[in-house]
Amino acid sequence: MFKNKLSSRREAYFFASPALFLIVAFVIFPLGYSFYLTFQNYDLAIGPPAEYVGVDNYREMLLDDVRFWRAWLNTFIIIFPAITVQLLLGLGIALLLNRPIRGRAFLTSLLIIPSMVSPVSAAMVWRMLYGVKYGGINNFFRQVGLLDVYFDWFATPARAIFSIIAVEVWHNTSFMMIVLLAGLQSIPQELYEAGEVDGASTWQKFWYITLPLLKFTMIVALLIRMIDLTKIFGLIFLLTFGGPGGSTQTVAFTTYLSGFQDFRISYASTLSYVIVVGVFILTLIFQKVSRFREGEEA
Amino acid sequence: MTRFSKYRLRRHLGMFLTYLGIAAALIFFLFPFVWILTTSLKGNEDYFTFPPVWIPTEPSLVHYYRLFTHGNGWLYFKNSLAISTLSMLAALAFSVPTAYSIARFRFGGTLFSNFLLLLRTMPAIALVIPIYVLYSKLGITNNYFGLILLYTVFYIPFAVWLMIGFIRDVPKEIEEAALIDGCSRLQALLRVVLPIIVPGLAVVALFAFITTWNEFLFAVILTGAETKTMMVLVTSYTTGSPTDTFFGEASASVVLGIIPAFLVAFALQRYLVKGLALGAVKG
Repeated sequence: MFKNKLSSRREAYFFASPALFLIVAFVIFPLGYSFYLTFQNYDLAIGPPAEYVGVDNYREMLLDDVRFWRAWLNTFIIIFPAITVQLLLGLGIALLLNRPIRGRAFLTSLLIIPSMVSPVSAAMVWRMLYGVKYGGINNFFRQVGLLDVYFDWFATPARAIFSIIAVEVWHNTSFMMIVLLAGLQSIPQELYEAGEVDGASTWQKFWYITLPLLKFTMIVALLIRMIDLTKIFGLIFLLTFGGPGGSTQTVAFTTYLSGFQDFRISYASTLSYVIVVGVFILTLIFQKVSRFREGEEA
Repeated sequence: MTRFSKYRLRRHLGMFLTYLGIAAALIFFLFPFVWILTTSLKGNEDYFTFPPVWIPTEPSLVHYYRLFTHGNGWLYFKNSLAISTLSMLAALAFSVPTAYSIARFRFGGTLFSNFLLLLRTMPAIALVIPIYVLYSKLGITNNYFGLILLYTVFYIPFAVWLMIGFIRDVPKEIEEAALIDGCSRLQALLRVVLPIIVPGLAVVALFAFITTWNEFLFAVILTGAETKTMMVLVTSYTTGSPTDTFFGEASASVVLGIIPAFLVAFALQRYLVKGLALGAVKG
Protein backbone atom coordinates (compact mmCIF):
# COMPACT_ATOMS: atom_id res chain seq x y z
CA MET A 1 0.00 0.00 0.00
CA PHE A 2 1.01 3.60 -0.43
CA LYS A 3 0.37 4.82 3.09
CA ASN A 4 2.55 3.87 6.00
CA LYS A 5 1.20 2.12 9.11
CA LEU A 6 1.52 5.10 11.43
CA SER A 7 -0.64 7.44 9.40
CA SER A 8 -3.34 4.81 8.94
CA ARG A 9 -3.47 4.30 12.70
CA ARG A 10 -3.84 8.04 13.12
CA GLU A 11 -6.63 7.99 10.56
CA ALA A 12 -8.35 5.15 12.41
CA TYR A 13 -8.45 7.24 15.58
CA PHE A 14 -9.51 10.31 13.63
CA PHE A 15 -12.59 8.51 12.26
CA ALA A 16 -13.50 6.75 15.50
CA SER A 17 -12.90 9.58 17.95
CA PRO A 18 -16.17 11.58 17.73
CA ALA A 19 -18.28 8.55 18.68
CA LEU A 20 -15.72 7.46 21.28
CA PHE A 21 -15.85 10.88 22.87
CA LEU A 22 -19.66 10.72 23.16
CA ILE A 23 -19.56 7.19 24.56
CA VAL A 24 -17.03 8.18 27.20
CA ALA A 25 -18.96 11.34 28.12
CA PHE A 26 -22.45 9.86 28.21
CA VAL A 27 -21.94 6.22 29.19
CA ILE A 28 -18.54 5.55 30.76
CA PHE A 29 -18.35 8.70 32.86
CA PRO A 30 -21.95 8.47 34.20
CA LEU A 31 -21.47 4.78 35.04
CA GLY A 32 -18.25 5.61 36.89
CA TYR A 33 -20.03 8.41 38.70
CA SER A 34 -22.86 6.09 39.71
CA PHE A 35 -20.30 3.53 40.95
CA TYR A 36 -18.82 6.31 43.10
CA LEU A 37 -22.33 7.11 44.37
CA THR A 38 -22.81 3.53 45.59
CA PHE A 39 -20.32 4.36 48.37
CA GLN A 40 -22.20 7.53 49.35
CA ASN A 41 -25.56 8.18 50.97
CA TYR A 42 -26.85 10.53 48.27
CA ASP A 43 -30.55 10.94 48.96
CA LEU A 44 -32.67 13.55 47.19
CA ALA A 45 -35.48 13.33 49.76
CA ILE A 46 -33.12 14.29 52.58
CA GLY A 47 -30.86 16.50 50.49
CA PRO A 48 -27.15 17.16 50.46
CA PRO A 49 -24.49 16.87 51.64
CA ALA A 50 -23.87 13.23 50.83
CA GLU A 51 -21.12 11.46 52.71
CA TYR A 52 -18.89 8.47 52.24
CA VAL A 53 -20.56 5.46 53.88
CA GLY A 54 -18.29 2.64 52.75
CA VAL A 55 -20.12 -0.53 51.77
CA ASP A 56 -23.29 0.28 53.75
CA ASN A 57 -25.46 0.27 50.61
CA TYR A 58 -24.15 -3.14 49.58
CA ARG A 59 -24.64 -4.49 53.11
CA GLU A 60 -28.22 -3.21 53.22
CA MET A 61 -28.99 -4.67 49.81
CA LEU A 62 -27.59 -8.13 50.52
CA LEU A 63 -28.49 -8.54 54.18
CA ASP A 64 -31.45 -6.33 55.10
CA ASP A 65 -33.45 -5.75 51.93
CA VAL A 66 -36.01 -8.49 51.39
CA ARG A 67 -37.37 -6.51 48.44
CA PHE A 68 -34.08 -6.94 46.55
CA TRP A 69 -34.12 -10.74 46.72
CA ARG A 70 -37.86 -10.85 46.04
CA ALA A 71 -37.30 -8.70 42.96
CA TRP A 72 -34.80 -11.15 41.48
CA LEU A 73 -37.11 -14.05 42.26
CA ASN A 74 -40.06 -12.20 40.67
CA THR A 75 -37.97 -11.49 37.57
CA PHE A 76 -37.04 -15.17 37.19
CA ILE A 77 -40.67 -16.18 37.72
CA ILE A 78 -41.58 -14.00 34.74
CA ILE A 79 -38.58 -14.84 32.55
CA PHE A 80 -38.65 -18.63 32.48
CA PRO A 81 -42.30 -19.33 31.64
CA ALA A 82 -42.25 -16.43 29.16
CA ILE A 83 -39.22 -17.61 27.18
CA THR A 84 -40.42 -21.23 27.22
CA VAL A 85 -43.78 -20.32 25.69
CA GLN A 86 -42.13 -17.91 23.27
CA LEU A 87 -39.73 -20.60 22.09
CA LEU A 88 -42.42 -23.25 21.56
CA LEU A 89 -44.94 -20.91 19.97
CA GLY A 90 -42.29 -19.12 17.91
CA LEU A 91 -40.89 -22.42 16.64
CA GLY A 92 -44.38 -23.66 15.78
CA ILE A 93 -45.24 -20.60 13.71
CA ALA A 94 -41.79 -20.55 12.10
CA LEU A 95 -42.28 -24.18 10.99
CA LEU A 96 -45.64 -23.25 9.45
CA LEU A 97 -44.16 -20.25 7.65
CA ASN A 98 -41.31 -22.41 6.38
CA ARG A 99 -43.72 -24.64 4.45
CA PRO A 100 -44.39 -23.88 0.76
CA ILE A 101 -47.01 -21.19 1.38
CA ARG A 102 -48.09 -18.20 -0.63
CA GLY A 103 -47.34 -14.65 0.55
CA ARG A 104 -44.75 -15.65 3.12
CA ALA A 105 -42.99 -12.25 3.19
CA PHE A 106 -46.24 -10.36 3.65
CA LEU A 107 -47.51 -12.72 6.37
CA THR A 108 -44.19 -12.51 8.21
CA SER A 109 -44.35 -8.72 8.16
CA LEU A 110 -47.85 -8.79 9.60
CA LEU A 111 -46.87 -11.24 12.33
CA ILE A 112 -43.78 -9.25 13.30
CA ILE A 113 -45.65 -6.03 14.10
CA PRO A 114 -46.16 -6.73 17.85
CA SER A 115 -42.36 -6.84 18.28
CA MET A 116 -42.00 -3.44 16.67
CA VAL A 117 -44.25 -1.53 19.05
CA SER A 118 -42.86 -0.25 22.33
CA PRO A 119 -43.43 -2.14 25.59
CA VAL A 120 -45.56 0.74 26.92
CA SER A 121 -47.79 0.74 23.83
CA ALA A 122 -48.22 -3.03 24.10
CA ALA A 123 -48.94 -2.71 27.80
CA MET A 124 -51.49 0.08 27.23
CA VAL A 125 -53.40 -1.91 24.62
CA TRP A 126 -53.57 -4.89 26.96
CA ARG A 127 -54.36 -2.79 30.01
CA MET A 128 -57.48 -1.72 28.19
CA LEU A 129 -58.23 -5.25 26.95
CA TYR A 130 -57.90 -6.57 30.51
CA GLY A 131 -60.24 -3.86 31.87
CA VAL A 132 -62.52 -5.29 34.55
CA LYS A 133 -65.83 -3.72 33.57
CA TYR A 134 -65.46 -2.57 29.98
CA GLY A 135 -62.31 -4.33 28.78
CA GLY A 136 -62.38 -6.26 25.51
CA ILE A 137 -61.59 -9.65 27.04
CA ASN A 138 -64.25 -9.56 29.76
CA ASN A 139 -66.76 -8.11 27.28
CA PHE A 140 -66.14 -11.02 24.95
CA PHE A 141 -66.39 -13.71 27.63
CA ARG A 142 -69.55 -12.17 29.05
CA GLN A 143 -71.10 -11.98 25.59
CA VAL A 144 -70.44 -15.63 24.80
CA GLY A 145 -71.66 -16.55 28.27
CA LEU A 146 -68.45 -17.95 29.74
CA LEU A 147 -68.32 -15.30 32.42
CA ASP A 148 -71.17 -13.87 34.46
CA VAL A 149 -69.20 -11.82 36.98
CA TYR A 150 -66.50 -9.29 36.34
CA PHE A 151 -63.12 -10.97 36.35
CA ASP A 152 -60.11 -9.06 37.67
CA TRP A 153 -57.03 -10.22 35.75
CA PHE A 154 -54.67 -8.69 38.31
CA ALA A 155 -56.41 -9.52 41.60
CA THR A 156 -53.97 -12.11 42.90
CA PRO A 157 -50.17 -12.45 42.46
CA ALA A 158 -50.58 -15.59 40.36
CA ARG A 159 -53.11 -13.93 38.05
CA ALA A 160 -51.02 -10.76 37.74
CA ILE A 161 -47.92 -12.77 36.82
CA PHE A 162 -49.92 -14.82 34.32
CA SER A 163 -51.38 -11.68 32.75
CA ILE A 164 -47.95 -10.06 32.40
CA ILE A 165 -46.47 -13.21 30.86
CA ALA A 166 -49.38 -13.34 28.40
CA VAL A 167 -48.62 -9.79 27.23
CA GLU A 168 -44.90 -10.52 27.01
CA VAL A 169 -45.67 -13.62 24.92
CA TRP A 170 -47.88 -11.57 22.61
CA HIS A 171 -45.26 -8.83 22.40
CA ASN A 172 -42.11 -10.81 21.66
CA THR A 173 -43.00 -14.26 20.33
CA SER A 174 -42.66 -12.89 16.81
CA PHE A 175 -39.04 -12.02 17.53
CA MET A 176 -38.39 -15.67 18.32
CA MET A 177 -40.41 -16.62 15.25
CA ILE A 178 -38.44 -14.51 12.80
CA VAL A 179 -35.04 -15.57 14.15
CA LEU A 180 -36.00 -19.26 14.04
CA LEU A 181 -37.51 -18.85 10.55
CA ALA A 182 -34.18 -17.48 9.35
CA GLY A 183 -32.48 -20.45 11.01
CA LEU A 184 -34.84 -22.90 9.32
CA GLN A 185 -34.27 -21.35 5.92
CA SER A 186 -30.51 -21.72 6.28
CA ILE A 187 -30.76 -25.50 6.66
CA PRO A 188 -29.66 -27.08 3.33
CA GLN A 189 -32.58 -28.71 1.52
CA GLU A 190 -30.35 -31.63 0.46
CA LEU A 191 -30.31 -32.95 4.02
CA TYR A 192 -34.08 -33.45 3.93
CA GLU A 193 -33.89 -35.04 0.49
CA ALA A 194 -31.22 -37.44 1.76
CA GLY A 195 -33.45 -38.20 4.75
CA GLU A 196 -36.37 -38.97 2.44
CA VAL A 197 -34.24 -41.34 0.39
CA ASP A 198 -33.40 -43.17 3.63
CA GLY A 199 -37.13 -43.37 4.41
CA ALA A 200 -37.28 -40.92 7.31
CA SER A 201 -40.73 -39.86 8.50
CA THR A 202 -41.67 -36.18 8.95
CA TRP A 203 -41.17 -36.53 12.67
CA GLN A 204 -37.75 -38.18 12.26
CA LYS A 205 -36.66 -35.44 9.86
CA PHE A 206 -37.65 -32.83 12.43
CA TRP A 207 -35.98 -34.63 15.32
CA TYR A 208 -32.72 -35.67 13.61
CA ILE A 209 -32.18 -32.85 11.08
CA THR A 210 -34.09 -29.70 12.03
CA LEU A 211 -33.64 -29.63 15.78
CA PRO A 212 -29.87 -30.33 15.92
CA LEU A 213 -29.20 -27.73 13.24
CA LEU A 214 -31.46 -25.18 14.91
CA LYS A 215 -29.99 -25.68 18.38
CA PHE A 216 -27.59 -22.75 18.36
CA THR A 217 -30.11 -20.39 16.81
CA MET A 218 -32.52 -21.29 19.60
CA ILE A 219 -29.90 -20.72 22.31
CA VAL A 220 -28.92 -17.35 20.84
CA ALA A 221 -32.56 -16.23 20.56
CA LEU A 222 -33.28 -17.39 24.13
CA LEU A 223 -30.26 -15.49 25.44
CA ILE A 224 -31.37 -12.30 23.69
CA ARG A 225 -34.83 -12.63 25.26
CA MET A 226 -33.25 -13.28 28.68
CA ILE A 227 -31.09 -10.18 28.39
CA ASP A 228 -34.12 -8.09 27.45
CA LEU A 229 -36.40 -9.59 30.08
CA THR A 230 -33.86 -9.03 32.87
CA LYS A 231 -34.48 -5.35 32.12
CA ILE A 232 -38.30 -5.67 31.94
CA PHE A 233 -39.81 -2.36 32.99
CA GLY A 234 -42.46 -0.89 30.67
CA LEU A 235 -44.96 -3.74 31.01
CA ILE A 236 -44.70 -3.69 34.80
CA PHE A 237 -44.95 0.10 34.96
CA LEU A 238 -48.27 0.11 33.12
CA LEU A 239 -49.93 -3.21 33.93
CA THR A 240 -49.37 -3.68 37.67
CA PHE A 241 -46.95 -1.01 38.94
CA GLY A 242 -45.36 -3.85 40.90
CA GLY A 243 -48.54 -5.06 42.58
CA PRO A 244 -50.39 -6.81 44.00
CA GLY A 245 -48.34 -6.84 47.19
CA GLY A 246 -45.03 -6.38 45.36
CA SER A 247 -45.44 -9.71 43.58
CA THR A 248 -44.53 -8.27 40.17
CA GLN A 249 -41.77 -5.92 41.28
CA THR A 250 -38.94 -6.86 38.96
CA VAL A 251 -35.31 -5.82 39.43
CA ALA A 252 -35.47 -2.87 37.03
CA PHE A 253 -38.77 -1.74 38.52
CA THR A 254 -37.53 -1.96 42.14
CA THR A 255 -34.49 0.09 41.13
CA TYR A 256 -36.78 2.67 39.53
CA LEU A 257 -38.88 2.85 42.69
CA SER A 258 -35.94 3.41 45.02
CA GLY A 259 -34.41 5.97 42.70
CA PHE A 260 -37.40 7.96 41.52
CA GLN A 261 -40.06 7.35 44.17
CA ASP A 262 -37.96 7.07 47.36
CA PHE A 263 -35.26 9.30 45.78
CA ARG A 264 -32.52 7.17 47.34
CA ILE A 265 -30.12 7.75 44.46
CA SER A 266 -27.12 5.99 46.01
CA TYR A 267 -29.10 2.93 46.94
CA ALA A 268 -30.75 2.77 43.52
CA SER A 269 -27.29 2.95 41.92
CA THR A 270 -26.24 -0.01 44.03
CA LEU A 271 -29.30 -1.99 42.95
CA SER A 272 -28.70 -1.04 39.31
CA TYR A 273 -25.14 -2.34 39.42
CA VAL A 274 -26.42 -5.83 40.16
CA ILE A 275 -28.55 -5.64 37.00
CA VAL A 276 -25.50 -4.45 35.05
CA VAL A 277 -23.51 -7.44 36.32
CA GLY A 278 -26.35 -9.85 35.51
CA VAL A 279 -26.75 -8.54 31.97
CA PHE A 280 -22.95 -8.45 31.58
CA ILE A 281 -22.72 -12.17 32.36
CA LEU A 282 -25.57 -13.03 29.97
CA THR A 283 -23.93 -10.92 27.26
CA LEU A 284 -20.62 -12.73 27.70
CA ILE A 285 -22.38 -16.09 27.37
CA PHE A 286 -24.18 -14.77 24.30
CA GLN A 287 -20.86 -13.73 22.81
CA LYS A 288 -19.24 -17.11 23.47
CA VAL A 289 -22.18 -18.96 21.94
CA SER A 290 -22.40 -16.79 18.82
CA ARG A 291 -18.66 -17.04 18.25
CA PHE A 292 -18.79 -20.80 18.69
CA ARG A 293 -21.66 -20.98 16.23
CA GLU A 294 -19.75 -18.95 13.64
CA GLY A 295 -16.84 -21.37 14.08
CA GLU A 296 -19.16 -24.34 13.54
CA GLU A 297 -20.67 -22.90 10.39
CA ALA A 298 -17.33 -21.92 8.86
CA MET B 1 -59.24 -44.93 -3.23
CA THR B 2 -55.94 -45.20 -5.02
CA ARG B 3 -52.67 -44.59 -3.26
CA PHE B 4 -52.05 -41.54 -5.37
CA SER B 5 -55.24 -39.74 -4.39
CA LYS B 6 -54.67 -40.67 -0.77
CA TYR B 7 -51.33 -38.94 -0.97
CA ARG B 8 -52.90 -35.88 -2.57
CA LEU B 9 -55.60 -35.74 0.09
CA ARG B 10 -52.99 -35.84 2.84
CA ARG B 11 -51.01 -33.09 1.21
CA HIS B 12 -54.09 -30.90 0.80
CA LEU B 13 -55.08 -31.52 4.39
CA GLY B 14 -51.54 -30.61 5.47
CA MET B 15 -51.62 -27.31 3.62
CA PHE B 16 -55.11 -26.58 4.94
CA LEU B 17 -53.89 -27.09 8.52
CA THR B 18 -50.83 -24.93 7.81
CA TYR B 19 -52.98 -22.01 6.66
CA LEU B 20 -55.33 -22.59 9.59
CA GLY B 21 -52.43 -22.35 12.03
CA ILE B 22 -51.15 -19.17 10.41
CA ALA B 23 -54.64 -17.70 10.51
CA ALA B 24 -54.85 -18.44 14.24
CA ALA B 25 -51.48 -16.74 14.77
CA LEU B 26 -52.63 -13.71 12.76
CA ILE B 27 -55.74 -13.39 14.90
CA PHE B 28 -53.77 -13.65 18.15
CA PHE B 29 -51.12 -11.13 17.10
CA LEU B 30 -53.30 -8.64 15.25
CA PHE B 31 -56.64 -8.67 17.08
CA PRO B 32 -55.39 -6.31 19.84
CA PHE B 33 -54.46 -3.76 17.14
CA VAL B 34 -57.85 -4.03 15.48
CA TRP B 35 -59.53 -3.63 18.85
CA ILE B 36 -57.53 -0.55 19.82
CA LEU B 37 -58.24 1.03 16.43
CA THR B 38 -62.00 0.44 16.61
CA THR B 39 -62.00 1.60 20.23
CA SER B 40 -60.39 4.88 19.22
CA LEU B 41 -63.11 5.40 16.58
CA LYS B 42 -66.07 4.73 18.87
CA GLY B 43 -68.25 7.41 20.38
CA ASN B 44 -68.28 7.82 24.16
CA GLU B 45 -71.69 6.14 24.38
CA ASP B 46 -70.28 2.91 22.90
CA TYR B 47 -67.89 2.09 25.72
CA PHE B 48 -70.30 1.17 28.49
CA THR B 49 -73.11 -0.67 26.72
CA PHE B 50 -73.88 -4.35 26.86
CA PRO B 51 -73.76 -6.28 24.60
CA PRO B 52 -70.47 -4.56 23.72
CA VAL B 53 -69.99 -2.61 20.50
CA TRP B 54 -67.18 -4.27 18.52
CA ILE B 55 -67.38 -2.23 15.35
CA PRO B 56 -68.60 1.35 15.78
CA THR B 57 -71.71 2.08 13.72
CA GLU B 58 -70.68 5.69 13.21
CA PRO B 59 -66.88 5.85 13.39
CA SER B 60 -65.64 9.29 14.36
CA LEU B 61 -62.32 11.01 14.81
CA VAL B 62 -63.59 12.98 17.79
CA HIS B 63 -61.03 11.51 20.21
CA TYR B 64 -58.13 12.34 17.91
CA TYR B 65 -59.53 15.83 17.55
CA ARG B 66 -59.81 16.21 21.32
CA LEU B 67 -56.30 14.83 21.79
CA PHE B 68 -54.93 17.49 19.48
CA THR B 69 -57.05 20.42 20.61
CA HIS B 70 -57.73 19.92 24.33
CA GLY B 71 -54.74 17.86 25.33
CA ASN B 72 -51.09 18.27 24.43
CA GLY B 73 -51.31 15.50 21.82
CA TRP B 74 -50.08 17.56 18.91
CA LEU B 75 -47.17 19.01 20.91
CA TYR B 76 -46.00 15.60 22.12
CA PHE B 77 -46.41 14.09 18.68
CA LYS B 78 -44.21 16.85 17.26
CA ASN B 79 -41.71 16.33 20.12
CA SER B 80 -41.44 12.64 19.36
CA LEU B 81 -41.05 13.33 15.67
CA ALA B 82 -38.36 15.97 16.19
CA ILE B 83 -36.43 14.06 18.86
CA SER B 84 -36.48 10.81 16.88
CA THR B 85 -35.49 12.47 13.60
CA LEU B 86 -32.62 14.46 15.09
CA SER B 87 -31.29 11.51 17.13
CA MET B 88 -31.48 9.38 14.01
CA LEU B 89 -29.44 11.87 11.96
CA ALA B 90 -26.90 12.40 14.74
CA ALA B 91 -26.51 8.66 15.31
CA LEU B 92 -25.79 8.19 11.59
CA ALA B 93 -23.28 11.05 11.52
CA PHE B 94 -21.33 9.63 14.45
CA SER B 95 -21.59 5.96 13.50
CA VAL B 96 -20.50 6.08 9.86
CA PRO B 97 -16.89 7.19 10.53
CA THR B 98 -16.57 4.81 13.48
CA ALA B 99 -17.84 1.86 11.46
CA TYR B 100 -15.51 2.89 8.64
CA SER B 101 -12.59 2.94 11.03
CA ILE B 102 -13.40 -0.56 12.23
CA ALA B 103 -14.15 -1.99 8.80
CA ARG B 104 -11.08 -0.55 7.06
CA PHE B 105 -8.45 -0.18 9.79
CA ARG B 106 -9.68 -2.90 12.18
CA PHE B 107 -9.84 -0.18 14.81
CA GLY B 108 -9.77 -1.59 18.34
CA GLY B 109 -9.84 -5.22 17.24
CA THR B 110 -12.08 -7.83 18.87
CA LEU B 111 -11.90 -6.14 22.25
CA PHE B 112 -13.58 -3.04 20.89
CA SER B 113 -16.40 -4.96 19.21
CA ASN B 114 -16.99 -6.87 22.46
CA PHE B 115 -17.11 -3.53 24.22
CA LEU B 116 -19.70 -2.25 21.73
CA LEU B 117 -21.88 -5.30 22.35
CA LEU B 118 -21.73 -4.72 26.09
CA LEU B 119 -22.76 -1.11 25.54
CA ARG B 120 -25.61 -2.31 23.36
CA THR B 121 -27.06 -4.49 26.13
CA MET B 122 -26.40 -1.92 28.90
CA PRO B 123 -29.51 -1.63 31.09
CA ALA B 124 -31.07 1.81 30.63
CA ILE B 125 -32.06 1.91 34.31
CA ALA B 126 -28.37 1.85 35.32
CA LEU B 127 -27.60 4.81 33.08
CA VAL B 128 -30.65 6.92 33.80
CA ILE B 129 -29.82 7.33 37.51
CA PRO B 130 -26.44 9.07 37.12
CA ILE B 131 -27.65 10.89 33.99
CA TYR B 132 -30.61 12.27 35.94
CA VAL B 133 -28.30 13.54 38.72
CA LEU B 134 -25.83 15.04 36.23
CA TYR B 135 -28.54 16.61 34.07
CA SER B 136 -30.19 18.11 37.17
CA LYS B 137 -26.88 19.66 38.19
CA LEU B 138 -26.43 21.08 34.69
CA GLY B 139 -30.07 22.16 34.59
CA ILE B 140 -30.83 20.30 31.34
CA THR B 141 -33.65 18.04 32.40
CA ASN B 142 -36.77 19.05 30.47
CA ASN B 143 -34.53 19.85 27.52
CA TYR B 144 -34.69 18.45 23.98
CA PHE B 145 -30.97 18.63 23.48
CA GLY B 146 -30.06 16.50 26.51
CA LEU B 147 -32.49 13.79 25.47
CA ILE B 148 -31.36 13.80 21.83
CA LEU B 149 -27.69 13.47 22.82
CA LEU B 150 -28.49 10.57 25.09
CA TYR B 151 -30.50 8.73 22.42
CA THR B 152 -27.72 9.35 19.91
CA VAL B 153 -25.11 7.80 22.18
CA PHE B 154 -27.36 4.94 23.20
CA TYR B 155 -27.91 4.05 19.57
CA ILE B 156 -24.30 4.35 18.33
CA PRO B 157 -23.11 0.82 19.30
CA PHE B 158 -25.93 -0.84 17.40
CA ALA B 159 -25.65 1.47 14.40
CA VAL B 160 -21.90 0.88 14.17
CA TRP B 161 -22.34 -2.86 14.44
CA LEU B 162 -24.94 -2.92 11.67
CA MET B 163 -22.99 -0.54 9.46
CA ILE B 164 -19.65 -2.40 9.58
CA GLY B 165 -21.23 -5.12 7.46
CA PHE B 166 -22.50 -2.67 4.85
CA ILE B 167 -19.09 -0.96 4.58
CA ARG B 168 -17.23 -4.27 4.30
CA ASP B 169 -19.39 -5.09 1.28
CA VAL B 170 -17.94 -2.10 -0.60
CA PRO B 171 -14.94 -3.31 -2.63
CA LYS B 172 -11.70 -1.77 -1.35
CA GLU B 173 -10.42 -1.28 -4.90
CA ILE B 174 -12.93 1.49 -5.63
CA GLU B 175 -11.64 3.46 -2.67
CA GLU B 176 -8.02 2.82 -3.51
CA ALA B 177 -8.61 4.18 -6.99
CA ALA B 178 -10.01 7.35 -5.43
CA LEU B 179 -7.01 7.62 -3.11
CA ILE B 180 -4.60 7.31 -6.03
CA ASP B 181 -6.50 10.08 -7.80
CA GLY B 182 -5.61 12.32 -4.87
CA CYS B 183 -8.65 12.04 -2.59
CA SER B 184 -8.05 12.10 1.16
CA ARG B 185 -9.49 9.27 3.23
CA LEU B 186 -12.30 11.54 4.39
CA GLN B 187 -13.14 12.49 0.81
CA ALA B 188 -13.02 8.82 -0.18
CA LEU B 189 -15.47 8.02 2.59
CA LEU B 190 -17.84 10.88 1.80
CA ARG B 191 -17.76 10.75 -2.01
CA VAL B 192 -17.12 7.09 -2.78
CA VAL B 193 -18.22 4.86 0.08
CA LEU B 194 -21.20 6.83 1.36
CA PRO B 195 -23.17 6.91 -1.92
CA ILE B 196 -22.75 3.14 -2.25
CA ILE B 197 -24.03 2.33 1.23
CA VAL B 198 -27.13 4.56 1.06
CA PRO B 199 -29.54 1.58 1.28
CA GLY B 200 -27.69 0.36 4.37
CA LEU B 201 -27.86 3.84 5.86
CA ALA B 202 -31.61 3.85 5.33
CA VAL B 203 -31.96 0.60 7.26
CA VAL B 204 -29.88 1.90 10.16
CA ALA B 205 -31.81 5.17 10.11
CA LEU B 206 -35.21 3.50 10.28
CA PHE B 207 -34.12 1.28 13.18
CA ALA B 208 -32.70 4.30 14.98
CA PHE B 209 -35.93 6.20 14.43
CA ILE B 210 -38.22 3.48 15.76
CA THR B 211 -35.95 2.73 18.73
CA THR B 212 -35.94 6.37 19.79
CA TRP B 213 -39.66 6.74 19.12
CA ASN B 214 -40.39 3.71 21.33
CA GLU B 215 -38.08 4.64 24.21
CA PHE B 216 -39.84 5.28 27.50
CA LEU B 217 -37.58 5.20 30.58
CA PHE B 218 -35.26 8.10 29.66
CA ALA B 219 -38.23 10.01 28.30
CA VAL B 220 -40.38 9.72 31.43
CA ILE B 221 -37.54 10.71 33.77
CA LEU B 222 -35.77 13.40 31.75
CA THR B 223 -38.71 15.32 30.27
CA GLY B 224 -41.02 17.98 31.69
CA ALA B 225 -44.41 19.36 30.70
CA GLU B 226 -43.27 20.79 27.34
CA THR B 227 -40.77 18.15 26.27
CA LYS B 228 -42.76 14.94 26.80
CA THR B 229 -42.87 12.35 24.02
CA MET B 230 -45.72 10.22 22.69
CA MET B 231 -44.70 7.24 24.83
CA VAL B 232 -44.99 9.36 27.97
CA LEU B 233 -48.38 10.63 26.78
CA VAL B 234 -49.59 7.06 26.19
CA THR B 235 -48.87 6.16 29.81
CA SER B 236 -50.56 9.25 31.20
CA TYR B 237 -54.14 7.93 30.87
CA THR B 238 -53.86 5.37 33.62
CA THR B 239 -54.86 7.38 36.65
CA GLY B 240 -58.39 7.31 37.99
CA SER B 241 -61.29 5.09 37.10
CA PRO B 242 -61.99 4.11 33.51
CA THR B 243 -63.93 7.18 32.45
CA ASP B 244 -64.83 8.08 28.89
CA THR B 245 -61.66 10.14 28.50
CA PHE B 246 -59.67 7.09 29.49
CA PHE B 247 -60.95 4.95 26.66
CA GLY B 248 -61.24 7.48 23.87
CA GLU B 249 -58.11 9.55 24.17
CA ALA B 250 -56.00 6.72 25.55
CA SER B 251 -56.77 4.51 22.56
CA ALA B 252 -56.26 7.40 20.14
CA SER B 253 -52.83 8.14 21.65
CA VAL B 254 -51.85 4.47 21.44
CA VAL B 255 -52.84 4.31 17.77
CA LEU B 256 -50.75 7.40 16.97
CA GLY B 257 -47.88 5.92 18.95
CA ILE B 258 -47.79 2.64 17.02
CA ILE B 259 -48.16 3.96 13.46
CA PRO B 260 -44.36 4.19 12.95
CA ALA B 261 -43.98 0.56 14.07
CA PHE B 262 -46.36 -0.56 11.31
CA LEU B 263 -44.52 1.45 8.67
CA VAL B 264 -41.11 0.21 9.78
CA ALA B 265 -42.23 -3.44 9.93
CA PHE B 266 -43.07 -3.32 6.24
CA ALA B 267 -40.22 -1.08 5.13
CA LEU B 268 -37.56 -3.19 6.81
CA GLN B 269 -38.94 -6.64 6.01
CA ARG B 270 -35.64 -8.02 4.71
CA TYR B 271 -33.50 -6.66 7.51
CA LEU B 272 -35.73 -7.51 10.45
CA VAL B 273 -33.78 -10.56 11.58
CA LYS B 274 -30.49 -8.74 11.75
CA GLY B 275 -32.06 -5.68 13.31
CA LEU B 276 -34.27 -7.38 15.83
CA ALA B 277 -31.43 -9.51 17.05
CA LEU B 278 -29.91 -7.64 19.97
CA GLY B 279 -33.23 -6.02 20.68
CA ALA B 280 -33.01 -3.21 18.20
CA VAL B 281 -36.45 -1.89 18.97
CA LYS B 282 -36.33 -2.19 22.73
CA GLY B 283 -34.84 0.26 25.15
